[in-house]
Amino acid sequence: MSDRIARSHGLEAFFGAAESVSGAGVEIALPKNRGFLNLRLDPRRERAVRAADEVLGQGLPLAANSFTGGERRVYWLSPDEWLVETRAEEAGALCGELEAALAGYHAAINDISGGQVALRLTGPEARTILSKGCTLDPHPREFAPGQCARAGFARATVLLACIDETPTYAVVVGRSFADYLCHWLANAAGL
Amino acid sequence: MAGGQVNRLPEGGRIDRSRPLRFSFNDKSYTGYAGDTLASALLANGVSLLGRSFKLRRPRGIVGGGAEEPNAVMQVGEGADALPNLLATQVELEPGLAARGTRGWPSTRFDIGAALDSFGRILGAGFYYKTFKYPRAWWKLYEHFIRRAAGFGRAPDSPDPDRYEHRNAHCDVLVAGGGPAGLVAALTAARAGARVILADDDIEFGGSLLAGGDAIAGAPAMDWVVGVVAELRELPDCQLLSRGTVFGYHDHNFLTIAQRCVPETDAQAQDRAPRPAAERLWRVRAKRVVLAQGAFERPLVFCNNDRPGVMLATAVSGYIRRHAVLPGRRVVVFTNNDSAYRTAIDLAGAGAEVAAIVDSRPGGAGVIGQRVKELGIPVLAGHVVSHVSGRRRVRGAGIARWTGEPWSAVEITLRINCDLVAVSGGFSPAVHLHSQAGGKLEWNDSQLCFLPGETRQPHDSAGAGNGRLSLGDCLADGLRAGKAALAALGLKPPEIEIPATKEIPEAPMEALWRVPAEKDADRCPKQFIDFQNDATVADIRLAVREGYRNVEHVKRYTALGFGTDQGKLGNINGMAILADALGKPIPEVGTTTFRPAYTPVRFGAVAGESVGALYEPVRKTALHEWHEAAGAPMEVVGQWHRPWYFPRDGEDLHAAVARECLAVRNSAGIMDASTLGKIDVRGPDAVNFLERIYTHNVDRMKPGRCAYGILLGEDGMVMDDGVMARLAEDRFYLTTTTGGAAHVLEWLEKWLQTEWPELEVYLTSLTEQFSTLAVAGPNSRELLEKLGCDIPLDGESFPFMRVRTATLAGMPVSLFRVSFSGELAFEINIASDLAPNLWRKLMDAGREFEITPYGTETMHVLRAEKGFVIVGQDTDGSVTPVDLGMNWLLSKDKDFLGKRSLARPDCLREDRKQLVGLLSRDGRTVIPEGAQLIERTGQAAPVPMCGHVTSSYRSASLGHPIALALVAGGRGRKGKTLFAASPGREPIAVEIVSPVFYDPEGERQHV
Repeated sequence: MSDRIARSHGLEAFFGAAESVSGAGVEIALPKNRGFLNLRLDPRRERAVRAADEVLGQGLPLAANSFTGGERRVYWLSPDEWLVETRAEEAGALCGELEAALAGYHAAINDISGGQVALRLTGPEARTILSKGCTLDPHPREFAPGQCARAGFARATVLLACIDETPTYAVVVGRSFADYLCHWLANAAGL
Repeated sequence: MAGGQVNRLPEGGRIDRSRPLRFSFNDKSYTGYAGDTLASALLANGVSLLGRSFKLRRPRGIVGGGAEEPNAVMQVGEGADALPNLLATQVELEPGLAARGTRGWPSTRFDIGAALDSFGRILGAGFYYKTFKYPRAWWKLYEHFIRRAAGFGRAPDSPDPDRYEHRNAHCDVLVAGGGPAGLVAALTAARAGARVILADDDIEFGGSLLAGGDAIAGAPAMDWVVGVVAELRELPDCQLLSRGTVFGYHDHNFLTIAQRCVPETDAQAQDRAPRPAAERLWRVRAKRVVLAQGAFERPLVFCNNDRPGVMLATAVSGYIRRHAVLPGRRVVVFTNNDSAYRTAIDLAGAGAEVAAIVDSRPGGAGVIGQRVKELGIPVLAGHVVSHVSGRRRVRGAGIARWTGEPWSAVEITLRINCDLVAVSGGFSPAVHLHSQAGGKLEWNDSQLCFLPGETRQPHDSAGAGNGRLSLGDCLADGLRAGKAALAALGLKPPEIEIPATKEIPEAPMEALWRVPAEKDADRCPKQFIDFQNDATVADIRLAVREGYRNVEHVKRYTALGFGTDQGKLGNINGMAILADALGKPIPEVGTTTFRPAYTPVRFGAVAGESVGALYEPVRKTALHEWHEAAGAPMEVVGQWHRPWYFPRDGEDLHAAVARECLAVRNSAGIMDASTLGKIDVRGPDAVNFLERIYTHNVDRMKPGRCAYGILLGEDGMVMDDGVMARLAEDRFYLTTTTGGAAHVLEWLEKWLQTEWPELEVYLTSLTEQFSTLAVAGPNSRELLEKLGCDIPLDGESFPFMRVRTATLAGMPVSLFRVSFSGELAFEINIASDLAPNLWRKLMDAGREFEITPYGTETMHVLRAEKGFVIVGQDTDGSVTPVDLGMNWLLSKDKDFLGKRSLARPDCLREDRKQLVGLLSRDGRTVIPEGAQLIERTGQAAPVPMCGHVTSSYRSASLGHPIALALVAGGRGRKGKTLFAASPGREPIAVEIVSPVFYDPEGERQHV
C-alpha cells in the first residue's frame, strides 16, 4: 500500500527533473528507487551467515572493504556489519525475510531506505573529484572494482564503492548530508 | 619591440619574443615577454629600486633569482584580487599584471621611514623591545606608527574572487625539486613502475640547468631535460607538478605542495566559468621522499652589501641565460670559490665589461681561471670588496687586500666604478624540508655548509641539496637516491645510465664570513646578513654582548631568519658570525629551526573549496523545504538547520512564539523533531547493557513502555538525556539530544567494544532513517484519529509513556506518547522519505484545529514552563542529576556508569548549584540568560556569585517571564530574593521558586 504514497529523497531541488548533472569528464547521478538494509551479524556463526546468504541470493562479503552482487549489492561495513542495497520496492519484504531467517540468532536488521541516498559518480574525471574531497587512495591498484570503504568525503561521512573501471563510484550518504554533498560535488566538478 | 627594455639582450633566453606582455609596477607601465618573471621583466626595463627594507627603510633591489629572494616582495593585483607577499622572482609575468612594492610609505622612492636609516646607530638589535616599553600608556601610540610602517604588504579588503582546490595524492616516491638530481631520481623510480610525483616550484623543469650553459651527453643540457620530462609524462603513474612548491614536510611522510596554476589568457578564462582554480593545495602521502631542492648561493658580508645592484652570481647568470637580461654593464665579480667565474664568463659573453674578478683566495681559481684569463678578464686574487658606494644603485666597489683577519681594519687600495657587483660566498644546501621532517644537520668543513644528516622519516636528499654541486655528481646522486627509494619499496631498479658530462676540477673554496672594513666591525657602514629583516653583523655582536648565547634567542632578538626569508639567504653567514662572537665552532652553535611554510602560501589555498556555502555542511531534515517555504528563519544547531519560529505577516520572534505557545496549550501544534538522535539496540544482553549505561531501572520496563532516561559520564555528570522505549524483550529504541547523537553512539560503542565485548548487543543508528513529527496540544488525539489510525488512541488503550506501531494516514509509523511540552502529545516516527507526505496530511487535517507549526524557540519556552532541562543549556558538564532534582531517576538497585562518582564528597555538598526557577520581582522584566546571581547589590568588586541564569523566556501561557537557574543550595532557598547582574544593566531582583511553572501535577500530559 505504501508504494503508492509519494516518497521524497530530498534532492528534488538539486536534480530537478533530471536524473543526473554533468561536468567536464564526470557525471553525478541519482539512481532511482534504491532501498537499503543494515545488517548486523556475527560472521563466525556460519549457519546464520548461510541463512542470510540464502535470503539475499548471494554471499555476504566476508573480506574487509569488499562488496558482492550487481543489481542487489551487499557492502561490507565492518567485521559484523553490512549494507544491503536493493530495489526500493523489495526492501521491506527482504527485511522481513531476513528477520525470519535469522530469528533465534543474535542479529539486527533495519530497513534504512528512508535515510540513505546513493549517488553515482562516473566518468574519466571521477577519480579527480574523489581526490579533491577524500583522503582515500583512488588508484585502481588500491581501490578497484569490488572494493568499498567508509570514508570522510568533503565534510560528510560516506560509503564509497568502486563499481567499474570507467571509473564509476557509488557514494552512499545519510540523507541530511545529501544536499550539501551534491553541491560540494557540483562545485568540485566545475558546475 | 624592445621598447624600454634597456637591459634586454638582442637574442637568446627562454622567453617568447613574439608575445610581448604589458604590465605595471608602482603604477608605471612596462613591457616584458612571455617566459619572464616579474623580476626579470623589471630588470630588463632597468628598474633596480624595488622597495625599502623592513626596519631601516634602505633602498633595495633584486638580489636573487628564486625562492631565496629577500627584497622583491610584491603586492600583485588590486582590490579583492590583491595578493600580498609574492616574490617577484617567482611571479610569472601575465598580461596586465599590476604589481607594487610592499614596503615604502608613502612611496618606494620617497619613504618617510628612510629617515630611520640615519638613526641606524640606535636602531640596533632589540631596539623595539628596549625603546617602546616606556611609558606603558604610550604603547597604543607607538603601535599605531610601528604597525603602519611595518609588514610586507596589505591584506585584500574584500572577499577573494579566486577559486582554490585541494587534492589528496598518494605515491611511492615524491621527488621535491626538478633539477638534474630530482629528474634522475624521478626517472629511476618511475621506470621501475613506482608511482611518482615530481614537484618543482619553477615554471619549467630543469632547475639549475635552465640557467646554465651546461652540456649533457654532448648536447645542451636542456635537450636532456626535455627528453626526461617527455618520458615521465608518458608514464601513467607519474605526476609532474610544475609551479608546485613543496612547502611543508609533516609527520608520517605527509607533505604539502602549493601549486600555482597556469595563468590563462583573458579569452581562455572567459571561456571557462567558473574560474579555474588559481592555486591548488596538494596533500601528499608518500612512501618515500627524495629531497632535491638544490642549494642557495650565499651573499658575502661587506659594507653596504645590500645596495641595489649587489646580486648573487648565479642569479646574474640566470637572468642572462634564461631571460636574456643583462642586469649591469660594468661589473665586479666578488667570490671565494670557482663558481662565480662562470658568471664572469656569462657576463663577458653577453657584452658586459667585467672590470675585475675579486677572489679572496690568494691562489685564485682552478682550471676555470685559465679560461677567464683568455677572455682578458682581470682577476684580483687575495683581494676582497670591502664596501660598495652608491645609494639607490651601486656606483663603485672599494677593494682591499685580504689578510685572512676578518676583524682587523683594512685599507682600500683600489676603487672600481661599476653598476653591478655579482657575489658568491659559496652554497648552502636547501635543507629546509629535511629539517622540517626532523632530520639532523651535519657541518661540512670543506664545503663550509650544513649537509643533511640522519633522517627520522623515510626520506633522502640528493644533488646540490645533498652537497653535490657539480652536474655529474648531481646526476649520480639522483640515481643513487632513486635506487635507494626503490630498494626500500622492494622494487627492482631499472636499466638506466647516467649521461656523460664535462667536469672541470675546481680549487677549494675559502671561509670568508665577514669582510673587514676600514673601521672596526661595530662602527663601519652596515654589513647585512639578513636583508629582509635588516639584521647586520653588528646586531649579532650586540646580542652576544647583551648576553644572548643560544642561536634561537639571538634569532628572536635580531629577527635573523624571520619572515618569508626563513633563513634561506642569511642563515649560515649569521651562524658563522655568531659562532665567532661566541668563540665556538659553527656546528656547536647550530642553526635555528626551519618551519613550514618554505615560501608564502595563500590562505585561499589552505581553505580550498570549503568556503562560502560549502564552509560547513548544512544538515537538512526531510521537512526542510516545507519550513523554508513557510518562511521560517533557521536556527543552526550543530550542523543542522532547524526552523526557529514560523512568523505570520509582520510578526517578530516574540509575537510568533507567543502565538505558537498558546496554540499548543489550547489546541494543537506540530514540530519537526527529526534531529533527535535515534539508536536501535538489539540483542539478548540489551537490558544488561542499558542497565549499566542509564541510571534508571531498565529491566522494570515492560515492552511497549517508554521512560525518560539520563546517562552520566564517569564523573557522575549528566552527559545526555532522551526517551528510552522498550519495543520487545531484546529490543530498545533510544533517542538522544540533537547535539549528542554522534557522541552517545560512540560512547555506547566504546563501552561495548572495549570494556564489555562479551555482551551480545548490536547498535544501529537510525537518526537519518526516521523523522520525528511531534504533535502536541489538547486536540492532538482528535487530529490523529481524524487522519485515520489503525489503533485506538484513547488514554486507556494508549496511555502516557507508551509506544505503539500503527498505520497513520496509510503510512507505517511508530507513535510515542511522550511530551516535551507538558501537553497531550504524540511523537510520530516515520521513515524520512515519507515524512513530507505525512506532514502535509497533518497540516491539511489539522486546519479545523488551527494546527500551528512551531519552531525551536517555542519548544524551549514550553519545556521551560514545565521545568524540563535541556542538556547543554541548563547543564554544562558540571551538573549531577541530584543538582537537577532527578534523584528519582537514580536506581539504588544496580550499578551504572557514574554512580560511584555521585558519592564523592564534592557531589554531596549541600551548597552545590541546584536547578531552581526564577521570577523577576516586578513580574515584568525578562532576566538576561547568562546573568550572574548575587546576594545583594552595592557590594565592592569582586562580588561573590552564587549562581547563574541558564534559560529565560517570556511566557504567554503564564502572562509573565520565567527563568531557570543554577543556584548554590538553591532548593533550600525558595522564596528568597537574589539579584541578577549583567554588564550595563541595573541588577534585577528575582525570587527563587520551583522550576515547574505550569501544570505542576502533570495532569495535562496524562489525559
